[in-house]
Amino acid sequence: MTGHHHRRGRGGFIEHTIDGLHAAMDRALYADRSASGRGALQQLDPRVKVAGLGALILASAMAARLWVVAVVLLAAMILAAFSYLSIWMIATRVWFATATFSAAFAVPALFLTPGNIIYTIPGLLWTITSQGLTSAGFLLLRSETAATLALVLVFTTPWMHILKALRLFRVPVVFVVILGMTCRYILLLLENAHEMFESRKSRTVGPTSSGEQRRIAIASTGALLSRTFQLSNEVYLAMQSRGFRGEVYILDDFRMRTLDWLAAIGFTGLTAGLVWMGR
Amino acid sequence: MLFEVDHLTYRYESNAALNDLTLAIPEASRVALLGANGSGKSTLLRVLDGLHFGVTGGVRFRGEDLSEEHFADDEWAFAFRRQVGLVFQNPDAQLFNPTVFDEVAFSPLQMRWSKADIKERVMETLDWLQIGHLKDRPPQRLSGGEKKRVALASVLVLDPAVLLLDEPTAGLDPRSQSQLIDLLVEWGGGQKSVIIATHDLDDLADIADRCYVLDAGRLAAEGPPNEILGDRELLQRTNLVHAHRHRHSSGEMHSHPHRHE
Amino acid sequence: MHIPDGYLSPTTCAAFYAGSTPFWYVALQRVKRVLHTKLVPLISLFSAFCFLIMMFNLPLPGGTTGHAVGIGLATVVLGPWAAMLAVSVALIIQALFFGDGGITAIGANCFNMAIVGSLVAYVFYRAIAGRSPIISFRRVVAAGLAGYAAINVSALFAAIEFGVQPLLYKDASGAPLYCPYPLSVSIPAMMIGHLTIAGMAELIVSAGLVAFLQWSDPSLLKTTALKATAGNAVTLEGPSRPHKARSLQPIWIGLCVLMILTPLGILATGTAWGEWMASDFSNPAVREQIADSSLHQAAPAQAPQGLEQMSQVWTAPFSRYAPPYIRSAGFGYLLSAMFGAGLVMLACFLVARLMRGFVVERAREPAT
Repeated sequence: MTGHHHRRGRGGFIEHTIDGLHAAMDRALYADRSASGRGALQQLDPRVKVAGLGALILASAMAARLWVVAVVLLAAMILAAFSYLSIWMIATRVWFATATFSAAFAVPALFLTPGNIIYTIPGLLWTITSQGLTSAGFLLLRSETAATLALVLVFTTPWMHILKALRLFRVPVVFVVILGMTCRYILLLLENAHEMFESRKSRTVGPTSSGEQRRIAIASTGALLSRTFQLSNEVYLAMQSRGFRGEVYILDDFRMRTLDWLAAIGFTGLTAGLVWMGR
Repeated sequence: MLFEVDHLTYRYESNAALNDLTLAIPEASRVALLGANGSGKSTLLRVLDGLHFGVTGGVRFRGEDLSEEHFADDEWAFAFRRQVGLVFQNPDAQLFNPTVFDEVAFSPLQMRWSKADIKERVMETLDWLQIGHLKDRPPQRLSGGEKKRVALASVLVLDPAVLLLDEPTAGLDPRSQSQLIDLLVEWGGGQKSVIIATHDLDDLADIADRCYVLDAGRLAAEGPPNEILGDRELLQRTNLVHAHRHRHSSGEMHSHPHRHE
Repeated sequence: MHIPDGYLSPTTCAAFYAGSTPFWYVALQRVKRVLHTKLVPLISLFSAFCFLIMMFNLPLPGGTTGHAVGIGLATVVLGPWAAMLAVSVALIIQALFFGDGGITAIGANCFNMAIVGSLVAYVFYRAIAGRSPIISFRRVVAAGLAGYAAINVSALFAAIEFGVQPLLYKDASGAPLYCPYPLSVSIPAMMIGHLTIAGMAELIVSAGLVAFLQWSDPSLLKTTALKATAGNAVTLEGPSRPHKARSLQPIWIGLCVLMILTPLGILATGTAWGEWMASDFSNPAVREQIADSSLHQAAPAQAPQGLEQMSQVWTAPFSRYAPPYIRSAGFGYLLSAMFGAGLVMLACFLVARLMRGFVVERAREPAT
């Protein structure tokens, strides 16, 4: 899991959780603002973006040549630049987190993969093979590229538009509705949890034992669980009160303009070319 | 008669939230349901909206029973839902759609209106409540007052004949509160009815021409606002005012029934 | 373990999307039947809660911290099918919106954690809890162990998925294209972390929250405790699950396990007796095999005329269980198994529908 690493330390769990919650809310806020910007990708039909960027992710996944994956990453960065997504923002949100995790996973591959030895670490006698290098390269580049493309999609398209565009892939309406409602309530629960943990933190004086911390964690989580059920009941009543009978419907209003068709052709061409080159 | 509640008992987890309640609300009323927390007024609103059904007794809306059998029929249910709307106390429960526009469009969408009609009516409602600029905003980025307006819009979009509101002014700052009251006054009148559940006694004179006081699931009193507000003993008994010791500006320390202004 | 992008080949990912879809579909149908209009709000809210659980840094005995998934709790409270949906939704949003976890790997992650996880948790919970009353310590223990088992089994699946990658997917120079670690590395690496840290976190969360619910609102634990003896009188909320659905579950589980084990067929060498192709008769290696298994009688020098003629009649789309476009034998087997099982189930379903229609028609005919 990117960004989830195990840390020792008392009191660390509350801070760490708060940081995580804060980062998630921050990302959601940023995504929302940036998706209504005036960049190139923001103007396109969401179906084109979901299919196009998805195809690029697929191209990077299928490539058997390292340089093809690098080209996809470059394409992602160019698209991001045209959509006013700052490279620094991408670096901090995606690259550092993904790189730390992927590096930890990929580094042993340098030494463990059989093949042509290209370097031996003096003293330790661990050997690095060229195949190991290539393999580590693939792992790192592929995860970075996919994460970058996903971020570009989410930061240039309102979440609900992404979900409604999934209808293109025959995803049932009820899933689209559930995904939308879940996201909406994740953001609410994130706020509640954040407040709850902040107040816990301010009330916790001095070191607490691990068992005590666990009790706090479970109690807080339990409170959130109760709130979750209570909310779900209320939402259920609210839905019924407004005429919900069990069938879900969504209102979508996507129309393809010339620009969208051009972008679709562009994506298709690029992906086809990359898949061909990478096979 | 708009609503007739007839010896209604509703149980929730072995608590009798409504206990042999009987009352009648005439057409074109502006009603306040008063009561302390736990008196059953929220539950009553939900029963009037056909969301809960009593264990014994019944409720009639314009002569028709609000029964589970009736609600099982799509056509009857839609007709009822179009006429009666409920604004919940907790706006987060009512705003379950990803954007304001989707939220207000939810009801007409359920009733299978055409896309064009839905869009027109939604924009009309948003503009009337002066929140048109919020149409693509997600609910978590709205202020308390804005959330209430969206909740109101989501119910008013169908142009109901009856509006039920559960603690509409709770949690709002004073300016938002008065704006809301103004809106309700503007909307009501004529053949429309407004039924508000509240424990805030300040706005009664503006909103209501009839009050019902609930206490522990029973009807404790009913009458015009000035009569109810004048009955100190009733208000204290039903926990709508309190009588803790306090100091007046003259320096004296005593206790008598009062509200905090 | 949330598998990121780039660790599983696109073929593997596609196979798991394909494998997850029938489960999602069946889960949706079942849950809709039980929950009706409550489906959307309950699954959405619980899914949001699961997402939050995944973000909590839980302090564990020994000083480390870990993350739980919430699959144990979800299964005990919602039942396996609704839990499958709720956890899948949480994983999808985590990957797509919050960028945590791979997009191509969503199918595999959902399969491992949501689908396999909830089924394992359910089996363990029901087995250990037995008929004990809803408010009992035994159920708390059962929930904890169910969560522990679920996480570890799903980690095992992930480890196997990782481990087969270097065997099957290499570039021209022999460098692994995806996960570079074979089974001998991936299994211990994954299992050590999960048997200790992640498993412990899941155990604590599942047991802790079930204990909490026993105290705050026991009726919420009713769904997976239908046979519980009445320790306390609790009101039943919602209709109980239909009897027929429960009795079919072991069969579904067995079928899935069998499907997953089919690639073991690759390990068997040679051709089964009597299942030779026409071309085998001119292949010296196969001829030897035939002789060995036929009491040392030599095979005819040429394929018998009848065999030759009949073998032209039909060319199978998935000949020898290896779809031509799938390069790896193992996944060819797996896909063939899924496809074949799917076809059989579809055929049975259609026949059953036809027969039901037929029976209803007969019932409607007036008695002559």
